[in-house]
Amino acid sequence: MQPELLAQLSAALVEGNLTDRNVMERTSVPPAIRILPEANVLKVGGQSFMDRGRAAVFPLVEEILENLPRHKMIIGTGAGTRARHAYSVGIDLGMPTGVLSVLGTFVSMQNARMLHYLLAKHGIPFIEPAQFPQLPLYLAERRAVIFMGMPPYTFWQQNPAVGRIPPHRTDTGAYLISEVFGARSMIYIKDEKGLYTADPKKDKGARFIPKITVPELKALNLRDMVVEPPVLDMMRNAAHRRSIRIINGLERGNLTRALNGEDVGTEITAG
Amino acid sequence: MPDSTLPGADNRYHVFSKLMRESLIDKDVMASTETPVVRMLPDVHVVKIGGRSLIDAGKRALYPVAEALSRILARERLVLGVGGGMRSRHVFSIGLDLGLPTGVLAQLAMADALGNAHILGTLLAPHGVVAIPPEIFGHLLPLFIQSAPGVIFNGVPPYSIWEHPPAVGRIPPHRTDAGCFILGECFGVRSVTLAKDVDGLYTADPKKDPSARFIPEISISELKRMNPETLPFDEVLLDILATTRLVKSFRLVNGLKPEAIEAAVAGEAVGTLVHA
Repeated sequence: MQPELLAQLSAALVEGNLTDRNVMERTSVPPAIRILPEANVLKVGGQSFMDRGRAAVFPLVEEILENLPRHKMIIGTGAGTRARHAYSVGIDLGMPTGVLSVLGTFVSMQNARMLHYLLAKHGIPFIEPAQFPQLPLYLAERRAVIFMGMPPYTFWQQNPAVGRIPPHRTDTGAYLISEVFGARSMIYIKDEKGLYTADPKKDKGARFIPKITVPELKALNLRDMVVEPPVLDMMRNAAHRRSIRIINGLERGNLTRALNGEDVGTEITAG
Repeated sequence: MPDSTLPGADNRYHVFSKLMRESLIDKDVMASTETPVVRMLPDVHVVKIGGRSLIDAGKRALYPVAEALSRILARERLVLGVGGGMRSRHVFSIGLDLGLPTGVLAQLAMADALGNAHILGTLLAPHGVVAIPPEIFGHLLPLFIQSAPGVIFNGVPPYSIWEHPPAVGRIPPHRTDAGCFILGECFGVRSVTLAKDVDGLYTADPKKDPSARFIPEISISELKRMNPETLPFDEVLLDILATTRLVKSFRLVNGLKPEAIEAAVAGEAVGTLVHA
């Protein structure tokens, strides 16, 4: 930005109103830099992956290690069945959404710790939110880090429109890391091929969708979906991460293909 | 109760619960989780003290505010949030020029509000009211508020690099008004007051339009219909208020007339009440 433009923006922000659309439009330029353009963000599902234990997790760990020489990975973890238990008990006891968010964070952290110990001998660290400033060093040195997928909103988690479950969970937390760092990809590792028109575990007539845009997906108005709905809205506003991919990590080779940028699973684009 | 130590037919090891095997995205499942919520701090009031409007304005504005807060603290318990003010605006402009994304701007802004929390904490220290470090503030809030008549925090929600990208531009949408209100909702406080340097909402800008009328009370749907060019509070509050369960409104008052803060905490009709 030219010095006089910075001076004008600075004056507009200091004197102006941050709800003024004209002022806000001027804050899109210059475009945001990509902080970690070579990094891939992965999210390992909780219920869909970690809760399957060794049978699912060990082959995935091997595939992550195989890909380390070629790909840098920031690996977030989901929460899963214990979060569902904590949410069920918490909802019965009248806990607010912010407290449920704290409970979900703990489960996501347990899964991150477990995955971390499986990768520890390769020097791969688990970082909590306060340790994110060290992430670039770990990524440069060891090529992967583990973090908990849950965003650290805790008591500041917003209520959902319906019910009590925190709307911004580990899909969202991992997605926001891919967006803020301008990462190369956002890959969700789950136990289904990708997005279906319904939950394929419950509805045998569910149809697989290999590629779809956010407006198309919203128009389908699905009752259930493979990824947290707020991610779709965020993709529409995103500066960098305008697509995500969902893959079946139980099939060996899918993660490698996704990291190589091949068409595997479902790709959802901002459209 | 089903045996939860063996894998289910789906080869996943579940813990038995009402939400076992359920998708936490399924709309019907979500509707089943709507239950009454407990109020953690039903007798406490949240008051946000504007950064640019009251703290940056210096002694002339903030000393009378601190005196008014002292009088309130003799009767009521307060959670005081503060804005980041001018320094946050400045760090936004430099950060934007450097091409830094929204999440980084949100992370940077936390420091300015924390500085202002320490300023207010210095003025209210004689009452035992100080700025609490953000890392421990949320979890220990009920303990602190039993030990002192009030606590101060940087109103910034801890979204940091997890801040949501806004629809327009790159300024973080969840700023200190939102941080104060969401906290109040989670803890089920009695009231939320935002103290700034305007009397409240008008039908138009009173500086430009002499026919502008003052609005003592308005719903978010009416306000969205009005679609004003600017709002004197974080726009995201309109969406947040639409989904609250415990705190159904906030009051916008002019902190340059500090008795308005006292009136708002006392539940009197002052300033503008924005409700769900």
